[in-house]
Amino acid sequence: MPLPPRDFNAIGPKEGQRFPDVRLPDQTGGLVDVHQQRAGRSALVVFYRSAEW
Amino acid sequence: MAPDLTANSVTLFAISYDSVEVLRNFADAHGITYPLLSDEGSHTMRGLGLINDRVREDHAVYGIQPNPRHVNLPYPGLFVLDSDGLVTQKRFYESYRERDTGTGLLAQVLGVVKEPWAPVVATSSPVTVRAWLDSPTYVFFQRLMLTVEVSIDPGFCICAEPARGGVTPLSIAIDPLEGLEVGTPRWPPARRVARPGFNDGLWVHEGIVRGTMPLTFAATPGGGDHQLGVTVRYQACDGASCLEPSSVQLRVRVREAALIGRSLPSPMSKT
Repeated sequence: MPLPPRDFNAIGPKEGQRFPDVRLPDQTGGLVDVHQQRAGRSALVVFYRSAEW
Repeated sequence: MAPDLTANSVTLFAISYDSVEVLRNFADAHGITYPLLSDEGSHTMRGLGLINDRVREDHAVYGIQPNPRHVNLPYPGLFVLDSDGLVTQKRFYESYRERDTGTGLLAQVLGVVKEPWAPVVATSSPVTVRAWLDSPTYVFFQRLMLTVEVSIDPGFCICAEPARGGVTPLSIAIDPLEGLEVGTPRWPPARRVARPGFNDGLWVHEGIVRGTMPLTFAATPGGGDHQLGVTVRYQACDGASCLEPSSVQLRVRVREAALIGRSLPSPMSKT
């Protein structure tokens, strides 16, 4: 039997909330701050499993 | 998809647990210029509450062997941020097999509708309905986006949610099909107009209204080609009164993409 589905509304930042500050290195090694980089524009933040497999 | 996003003034970020080196190679190989962010160790994703700690249990259900790559994996999905950085939409999936087509995502998340691919049309005065899928073919567990466009003759409107006073709001129904999962339709916001007999006003669409509905083909590969039966129900009104509720039916063809030359979307396929 497959496990019961998750409630995705309960996972991660909620709709209506400010997306948390995220600073991570990009493919060039330079630190990227999501909110700073989008510079007042809207954004898509995508989570995926891996670029390697 | 990235060029479309740029044209719509949307910044794209993609986050995974890969090292900077892996991401650099991937970006070089595929000509990617938008930021691929490296969350090695998955600390940021864990802090955001996105790590799927049930991968191992889930896989055990399907008899998949434990694999160190499956530790600290996020749920696949995305957040849409508005210009103030507020989360306006989140879309997450149980499984990496389930995903949106690029154009479908643009249509539903950003309201960007591409030119229709081979629409089917039905007319029933005072409306004309066109329907199309964002891809003529589906692959196992892919999510296709159905767009339904209703053109309403001048002088008329059609009832919308919230439907009060016993009117029938605009809706889409898909004939049941084994393995087909039908998602929630999205319509643009309705407008409230004053009408005799409706004390709280009547919520309506006018002109051209486009709705989208995600469809996931979860049947096993080999499901073959289908004619999707799409029923659009509506109730039209003019300035004085409402007509009887009515419906139009369309048949949208979708073909299964050949699996030859592609790896089956099994979590074991690349391990």
